[in-house]
Amino acid sequence: MEHDAQPPRQDRTEVGTPVPADDLAPARPRTPIIAFVDVSKSFGDNTIYAGMNLEVHPGETLTIIGGSGLGKSVCLKMLIGLLPVDSGRITVLGTDIGTADDEVLREVRRRVAYVFQGGALFDSMTVLENIGYGLREHTKMGDEEIRARAKACLEMVGLEEKDLDTMPASLSGGMRKRVALARSIAPQPEVILYDEPTTGLDPRNITRIGDMIKKLQRELQVTSVVVTHDMPTARKVSDRIAMLYRHRFPFVGTVQEMWQSEDPAVRDFIHGTLRRPPAAHGSHAKEHHGP
Amino acid sequence: MLRPLERFGGLVLAGIEWVGGLTGLALRLLRVGFKRPIGIDDIAAQMVQQGVRSLPISTFLSLFIGMILAWQFGWALRDFGATMALGYASSLALVRELVPTLIAITVGAKMAAGMAAELGSMKVTEQIDAVAALGADPIKKLVWPRVVGAAASQPLLVVWGNIIAVFGGMMIAEWVYGVPAGYFYQTYIDELVPMDYVSSLVKALIFGVLVGLIGCFQGFSTKFGTEAVGIATTETVVATSICIIIADFYLTMVFF
Repeated sequence: MEHDAQPPRQDRTEVGTPVPADDLAPARPRTPIIAFVDVSKSFGDNTIYAGMNLEVHPGETLTIIGGSGLGKSVCLKMLIGLLPVDSGRITVLGTDIGTADDEVLREVRRRVAYVFQGGALFDSMTVLENIGYGLREHTKMGDEEIRARAKACLEMVGLEEKDLDTMPASLSGGMRKRVALARSIAPQPEVILYDEPTTGLDPRNITRIGDMIKKLQRELQVTSVVVTHDMPTARKVSDRIAMLYRHRFPFVGTVQEMWQSEDPAVRDFIHGTLRRPPAAHGSHAKEHHGP
Repeated sequence: MLRPLERFGGLVLAGIEWVGGLTGLALRLLRVGFKRPIGIDDIAAQMVQQGVRSLPISTFLSLFIGMILAWQFGWALRDFGATMALGYASSLALVRELVPTLIAITVGAKMAAGMAAELGSMKVTEQIDAVAALGADPIKKLVWPRVVGAAASQPLLVVWGNIIAVFGGMMIAEWVYGVPAGYFYQTYIDELVPMDYVSSLVKALIFGVLVGLIGCFQGFSTKFGTEAVGIATTETVVATSICIIIADFYLTMVFF
């Protein structure tokens, strides 16, 4: 395993502590916080990645786009060691994930949060217990402190204290996603991985989740990796976009660069998703979902 | 000619793979299970879930096993005018074999199927991945309490079952064959030596470990989709029953 020197992390003792504006500049050319180097991964005869390379810089939001079933989620799962790579190297926060032992992986997972596609809330636990799960694993916080942190996290994602004692089964899809988001930010991670955060939601909740990702980025200064095939969300939240195509990321660049790209694969993907290019970064007034 | 051979070979390979996976899980459990914290709360919750909630069915089952066996033996002994030996005849079969094995096959299979369904559902909804992603070890958090809970519950249920089975035998002895219940009880106890109780409990303990391991392994091995949960659950009942019978055979060889 390898532990590279990392820039000192700002100590955030409370969820929602504002971050100085200077620190929010995205995609500065710094040492990557996450790096995939020549990564290959297959499931039987099905090759997902072959010699894939990708870097994520501190403080940026990188969105991974690509067609369904290509392995976007696999990328996130390899990133925190839920799936092993066949060959190559993944470095997260200075740790080589492939050679990390259980204790090192545990520490990485404290610093890297994962928001699952369906929320993956624990059915047998209340919202409070779900949000407190990571805190109980990683801290010695007492019940009162956990409740206070859970309440703060819940409020950050637009839910109320009264929701703490409800069971996940009684929540709507959008609320479940927001509770999952609250659970992921409770241990104050440095990186948040979003796996299809808007899938299955109505347009209002899609907008809300997109806003929330931006808000967390702004207020918590986290590095985010978002996996989605929802282009409006990708455009809204991304500093950079990486497009998965033929087992690699042939395009990695800003939203604007993506639309200006002459790469046929990128153009095909854009035109298959959006009927016309956007007027400006951040605007999605003229977007239409493709067939 | 080749096709049945291929199929047989495939089955053998699948069996070897399954046993290998189960052994791998057991070894991993041994490695992480005893690390602190032991997880007493989770284990206690599992004992309630698996043990206490299985008391009614264990009671019902044991009562009828005791009654059926006494009836069968009484029928055979009556031909020789030896119904007074009913207690001697029933005790060994019940304590050494029938109570631990039948409780493991019925109640144990129910426990294992429950675990497979619960963990299988967690697998398909990515909750097991979520446990790992939140920094916990799914083996320690999910498998350890279930295996320990099952291993602790089975011997307790067998102790309870043995007591109830005696009552079943006493009822049949008194009401059907005219053997005084107190005499039946006395002869029943006289026939047993400490090793009989030990073997009964050791069997129950090992069956409990098997039940927990198989239930959890099947749950963790569930493929994706709700249909897969159903398949995993059904397979768990079959696998648990077969493994218990095989283990029973070897344990019987060891003890007697």
